[in-house]
Amino acid sequence: MRRRRNGSVWMILPLYIFTLVFVAGPLLYMFALSLAMPNETHGVDWNFTLENYKRILDTVYLNTFAQSFKLAVTSTVIICMTGYPFGYYMARMSESRKKRAMLFLMLPFWVNSLIRLYGWIIILQNKGILNFILKKLGIIEKPLKLLYSYPAIVIGMVYVLLPFMVLSVYSSAEKLDWSLVEAARDLGASRTKAFWTVTFKLTIPGLLSGVILTFIPSMGLFFIADILGGNKIVLVGSLIQEQMTRGGNWPFAAALAVVLMALTTIMIILYRRITNVRELEGIG
Amino acid sequence: MKKVTAGIFCAALAMASMPVTAFADSDEMVLYTWEGMFPQEVLDGFQEETGIDLVYSNFDTDETMLEKLSMAKGGDYDVIIADDYILENVIKEGLAEKLDKERLTGWENINPLYQGQFYDPEDAYVVPYGAGIPLIVYDPEMVDIEITGYEDLWDPSLNGSIALTANYRVINGITNLTLGKSMNEEDIDSIKETGEKLLELAPNIRLIQDDNTQNALLSGEASVAFLYTSQVTAALAENPDLEVVYPKEGLGFGVMGMFIAGDAPNKDAAYAFVDYILRPEIAAQCFDYIGYYCTNKAADDSVNPALVVPDSVKSGEIVENVSQEAEEQYSKNWTEFRAACN
Repeated sequence: MRRRRNGSVWMILPLYIFTLVFVAGPLLYMFALSLAMPNETHGVDWNFTLENYKRILDTVYLNTFAQSFKLAVTSTVIICMTGYPFGYYMARMSESRKKRAMLFLMLPFWVNSLIRLYGWIIILQNKGILNFILKKLGIIEKPLKLLYSYPAIVIGMVYVLLPFMVLSVYSSAEKLDWSLVEAARDLGASRTKAFWTVTFKLTIPGLLSGVILTFIPSMGLFFIADILGGNKIVLVGSLIQEQMTRGGNWPFAAALAVVLMALTTIMIILYRRITNVRELEGIG
Repeated sequence: MKKVTAGIFCAALAMASMPVTAFADSDEMVLYTWEGMFPQEVLDGFQEETGIDLVYSNFDTDETMLEKLSMAKGGDYDVIIADDYILENVIKEGLAEKLDKERLTGWENINPLYQGQFYDPEDAYVVPYGAGIPLIVYDPEMVDIEITGYEDLWDPSLNGSIALTANYRVINGITNLTLGKSMNEEDIDSIKETGEKLLELAPNIRLIQDDNTQNALLSGEASVAFLYTSQVTAALAENPDLEVVYPKEGLGFGVMGMFIAGDAPNKDAAYAFVDYILRPEIAAQCFDYIGYYCTNKAADDSVNPALVVPDSVKSGEIVENVSQEAEEQYSKNWTEFRAACN
C-alpha cells in the first residue's frame, strides 16, 4: 500500500514541477516585470514603479482594449450564428456522412493557419478571385477594396475559429437524447417549439464552451488583424508584440499582458456565474 | 653517422615547425559579421591574392557581437561588420582600431554622404559597408501628382492608397523631416506636434506592413509605398516602370560599418582585407550581392544603378536612440496613428 502511494507521488511530481517552472514561474516573472522600469538601452531597471499601469489608462491604450473586445464580440456572435447550425446538423447526419463531414472540418488543420490566411489575401485582393468573379458577373465595374478592411479581419477570425465552435456544438448535440425531443413532439409541441425548449436548452453547454473556446483566443489573435487588416486596427496583442520588439519596452508589454489576462479571467468567472454550467469548469 | 642523422632530423623538425607557427600567426584572418555578407568569389579572390586564410565567423545580432568582442577585449577577431547604432558602443568601449589611413589606399573611394555620422564623427574608426535607405516608390500610372518628397504623401489625392513599413521611429522621423525637425527630435511637446501631423496622414493609408510591403504595390493594392532598400530593389526588379523618389526633405538611413578590432590578432591582414574591399570593382560585386546602397563612390559606375544614390542627394540622417520619454511619445504617436487609419 505504502509503496504504491509513494509511487504515485513520484508520478505526479514532474507534473507539479513542470507547472511551477513553466506556468507559475513565467507568470510571476511577467508580473514582476510589469512593476519594473524600462531603461534606455532596451533593458530593464529593477526599480519598483506603477508607471506602466498608469500608462495603460491613457485613452490611446484603453482604446486598444476596447478594439480587441469589440472584434472578439463581433467574431464570436457570427461564429455562434454559423457554427451552431453547422454542428447541430452534423450531429443529425448518418454515421458515414458524419465521418466525411468531420474529415472536411479537420482538413484545414493540416495546413498552417498563417498559410491559410495568405490564401484569403489571394481571394480578397484587388486583382483577386472574388473581385474577378464579381466583375465577370457584371455586379461591379471597379474592383472593391476588400482587403485591409474591418470585414476582412472578421472573415479571417470567423474562418480560423469556426471549427472550435462546430466541434463543441456537435459533441453536445451528439450526446443529446433524441427521445426527449420525440416526447415533446408527442405531447403536442411544434417542431420549432420542441427545438427551442428541448434541443437548444440541452445543447447550451456546447454552445457556451464554444463561446469560451472562440472568445478568449479572439482577444489575443492579433496576427489576423495584421495580415488581413493591414495593421490598421491596434489590438492589445499587437501592441504587446510591438512593445516587446521594436519598442524595446518589456515592462510596459508585461503590464499590458497582465491586464489582458485579468480581463479574460474576469470574463471566464462571469460566464461561470451566469451560466452555472458545470461542464465548462474543465475548460475555464 | 648517427649524429648526422640526428642533426638532419633536428633541422627538419625545426624547419617543419617554424614556418607552421609563423604561418598560423600571420596568415589567418577572422572576419566576423552576419551570414551572407560577401559573395564567395570576393572571399576566394582575397585568399588567392594574399595567401591569407580567411575564417568567416558569423553572429545573428549586433548585441551578440558586442558581447563577444568585449569579452575578448577587442581580440580574437580581425575585421567586423555591424550596424550603425552598435558601432557607437564599440567605439566608446575602445574595442575598435583607430584606422591608419596611410595603409588604406582606397580610403578616398568612400562616399562622403555616409561619413561623419554620430557613431564616428571624425571618421577615425569605421569604413561604411552598404546602406539601407527607406524610399518612396510609386506607380506613376495610378498617381495623379508628382511625388518629390515626404510632404506629398499627405496629398488628399492619395486617399487610401499608401503602403507603409512599420518602423515607428522611421515614420515619426520622416514626419519630423516634413516639419523641418531632426529625425531624432527629443523635445516631448515637439514630438506631440509630430503626432498631430502624423494623424493627418491616416486617411491616405491603405496598409501598414513590415514584410514584403512591395507586394501591395505590385498587386495594385496600393499605388504608393514607403519601402526598405531590399523591398525597393525587389519592386523595381518586378516592375521597372515604378518611380523611385529620393525625398527632397532628406534621407533617413541605416549604415553598416566595417572596423578593425582594437586588439586584432592579425592587423596586417585586416588592413589588407579592408583595403581589398575598398577597391571599386570588388565593392561593386559586394553591393550587387547584398543589395544595399553602394557606399563606395568609386564603385558607383560599375554597381547595379538602382543601388546608387543620385548626386542631388546631399544629406541623410540616421535614426539614433533617444531618451526613454521621447521613445514612449514616439510609440504613442504611432499607436494613435494606426488606430486612426481604419
